[in-house]
Amino acid sequence: MTQAITLRLITRQAGGGEIVRTRRIDGGEALIGRGSECDIYLPDLAVDMEHARLRVTGVGRVGIESLTGHPFLVDGKRSLNVELEVVRGHKLSFGDFDLLLGQGGEGDISVTVLRREEDRAVSASVFSLKAAVFGRRRMAWTLGLAILLICLIVPFAGAAYLSRLHIHPDQQWSTGPLSKAHAFLEKDCQACHQKAFVAVRDDACLSCHKAGGDTAAIDARVTRKGSPFLPLLIVDHAAHAKLIRAMPPPPTLRGQVAQVFQTAMNHPTDRCASCHREHTTAPPDPNVPKTADVVRPGKPALVVVTDCAGCHSRLKMRLPSTGLIDTPDWNRHPDFKPLVTVGFNGPQPRLQRLSLTSAPAEANGLTFSHRVHMSATGGVARQGQVLGRARGYGAALTCQSCHRADGGGFKPIEMERDCGACHSLAFAQVGGELKALRHHDMRNVAGVLRGALGPTKALSVDPAVLRRAMAPGGLCVDCHTVRPSAGPLGGEIAPVFLVNRVLPNGDFNHGVPAHAGIGKGAAACADCHKAQASDRTQDVLIQGIATCRACHGKTEHETAAAAGAQCSECHSYHAPGQAPRTGQDRLFVALGLPKGAKPRGLPTF
Amino acid sequence: MAGARAQTQRRKRSTHESFLRHGNFRFLWASVILCAAVIAAYVFQDAYPRPSGGTALGYVLGTVAAMLIVWLALLGVRKRAVSDGHYSLKAWVSAHVYLGLSLIVIATLHTGFQFGWNVHTLAYGLMLLVIASGAFGVWAYATLPKALSDNRGETTRKQMLAQIHGLDELIHEAAQPLHRAQADIVRVSLENTDIGGGFWRRLFGYYGDCANARGLAQLAAAGEPSSRAEASAMAKVEDLMRRKAEALALARRQIHITALLEVWLFVHIPATFALLAALTAHIVSVFLYW
Repeated sequence: MTQAITLRLITRQAGGGEIVRTRRIDGGEALIGRGSECDIYLPDLAVDMEHARLRVTGVGRVGIESLTGHPFLVDGKRSLNVELEVVRGHKLSFGDFDLLLGQGGEGDISVTVLRREEDRAVSASVFSLKAAVFGRRRMAWTLGLAILLICLIVPFAGAAYLSRLHIHPDQQWSTGPLSKAHAFLEKDCQACHQKAFVAVRDDACLSCHKAGGDTAAIDARVTRKGSPFLPLLIVDHAAHAKLIRAMPPPPTLRGQVAQVFQTAMNHPTDRCASCHREHTTAPPDPNVPKTADVVRPGKPALVVVTDCAGCHSRLKMRLPSTGLIDTPDWNRHPDFKPLVTVGFNGPQPRLQRLSLTSAPAEANGLTFSHRVHMSATGGVARQGQVLGRARGYGAALTCQSCHRADGGGFKPIEMERDCGACHSLAFAQVGGELKALRHHDMRNVAGVLRGALGPTKALSVDPAVLRRAMAPGGLCVDCHTVRPSAGPLGGEIAPVFLVNRVLPNGDFNHGVPAHAGIGKGAAACADCHKAQASDRTQDVLIQGIATCRACHGKTEHETAAAAGAQCSECHSYHAPGQAPRTGQDRLFVALGLPKGAKPRGLPTF
Repeated sequence: MAGARAQTQRRKRSTHESFLRHGNFRFLWASVILCAAVIAAYVFQDAYPRPSGGTALGYVLGTVAAMLIVWLALLGVRKRAVSDGHYSLKAWVSAHVYLGLSLIVIATLHTGFQFGWNVHTLAYGLMLLVIASGAFGVWAYATLPKALSDNRGETTRKQMLAQIHGLDELIHEAAQPLHRAQADIVRVSLENTDIGGGFWRRLFGYYGDCANARGLAQLAAAGEPSSRAEASAMAKVEDLMRRKAEALALARRQIHITALLEVWLFVHIPATFALLAALTAHIVSVFLYW
């Protein structure tokens, strides 16, 4: 007897609960499909009209065969034709319908039909953008914490470790490019920012720039760090404690408020970095094309916290120990006090700064008349003609005959070179060669004389001869000062000391064309030095500051040689006795360096 | 009668004053005066070597901007607290919008127009992003609610979805007589139609590759029906799918406008958090490497 099929159709209700309908299919065969005539009717579009046939093939066994070639699922696996034992409780799937096989009562095959209810209902939240992206709050916290981590915590806590891996996360804190002078330190923030929350201190700057320290070690360290040139070495303007006392409070209310804030914020205004500012790009200039060079200036921007006049006005009030006279501006610049040799302590010269108005008298150990030597006529001029051009003369003497230019100044006067052509010191001829005394060394002179005359005769020189030479009208006195001495001669030749820079705290550059008589309105030597009228050695041959004011501080309308009146024309902060050295100066120095040598300071125009 | 209506309208106008007009543009004026003062201070300052965040004015502007940013961000806290009166939420929002816009001037002058690839410019960029997204939000709130309302007419959003769902059931039923090839086409519409879609789809309202539209096109291209019953079913299904397309278009326009209305907040809020973090990094780093 063929087993019948008991069909149980289970329909789930919306409110819960199920409706079960049972039907018996005789004949041991059932057609499965979407067609209404099918025994097992499955109204699902994924099911064919007559999709498969289920046939009882034995006791407790059924075969299922696709009629259309479209598969169905047996326990989740695709199949076209399969034979199953119903006791195993297999599940057939057609579209959304599941057919559970089992053993029914009375030996029937039981087929339970269930529809899988998939919840396709869409909620109203589909209208909100929240349905498409993850929550704003999560996104916000993720982003915020990521930035805090990457931009603050990692650079702060990990910079030291990461720099070993050539990663410099703290570079993102840089507010702008470093100047070319410091560009090699761009990845080494902590070279300058040595302590967290402490403004860059002078120690950091002086570790490379201090003059008088171990320069070789500094140069080696800077080179190791990759600098293409050596650091400029500087000295401070004065002792730091003095500078602090000399500095007046800012003149404006805004400046005073700013200073209070800066002091309160541990950002004092007396540091190197107070004036020399890094990380600042050049101000936008429409006339300059934008290039990397414009963005990165040559050296740190100089911001003058207190200018020269600021400290050098009423300085005595703030710094009673100072010997400096106030210079509130160029027009009130005190007159020059040249450095004058006023005599000697033994062989050592006594030097004094004397005011020009006090009629200073030089006592340099010489007797010398500029007028006689520079006269266009007379014996000296004749001697110059006789010496001829070949020896650098050929006519009456000029300033340059003795004062030989050396940079912005002159080489020190040397007797043998500058006087010796006329004032010969030859004392004997040996084998056709003239023997000359080494004039500047009296002990040597005595020794040479002894050697020349022979040891036994040395003492036989008549002291009267020497005394005559040193007496008024004598040979030595022509040029030298003779001072009394306790020796057998009763006198001796005084030492000679010629001051090379009479204005040691200012930088008068003789090489400037306007100072060398070159150009319209330029000053010639005689405009400032009245040498041709000077008969006495005692004359201090420089003019007062009024001579400088003939050009400096004047407009071009007033004089063709008008020049600036800034303090920096003659003084610089770190070396008051020198005018500031420009990049051009350094470039010329660099050009003259031997091959491979590094210049000191950035050589640029 | 007409007089009474006019009075009602007047009252409506006065009670529906927007946050932009709040207090006779009080905060707009405050913002304009603040910006004018800041610009004047910037122009007349004597900054050397150049204006920047490191000058006296730079620090002042930076402090003002940072305080403003924190205060503006506190709107998120304020809006969760219910209160009224002089410092109503509307007043806060009005001040938030106008003072927020004034930040463009204050923070830009704080930078001294110095920008670079650093955390400082990151904070500035994020601030501009927050302001731009906020400005978009103001525009969206001013114009889009009307568009939303016009689009949906008298239909609620739930009704729109119910309509699509109902049509799906009708299509499923109507397609029962169809053979496999046509039935598969119908299934594409039933099973693959995504009403909303992803972020960009919603934002740009692009649904050109809609499964229902694709199904409709395929149905038109499908061969002749084999029987009259099938022909009738196909005609019915096609008609239902067209109706579904219309219902989908309506819902999707709603979704698109909603996306435009909401999208700025998805930028504004996370960017605000990012800005607060970058601002913290900016300020701390300046003092760290002081």
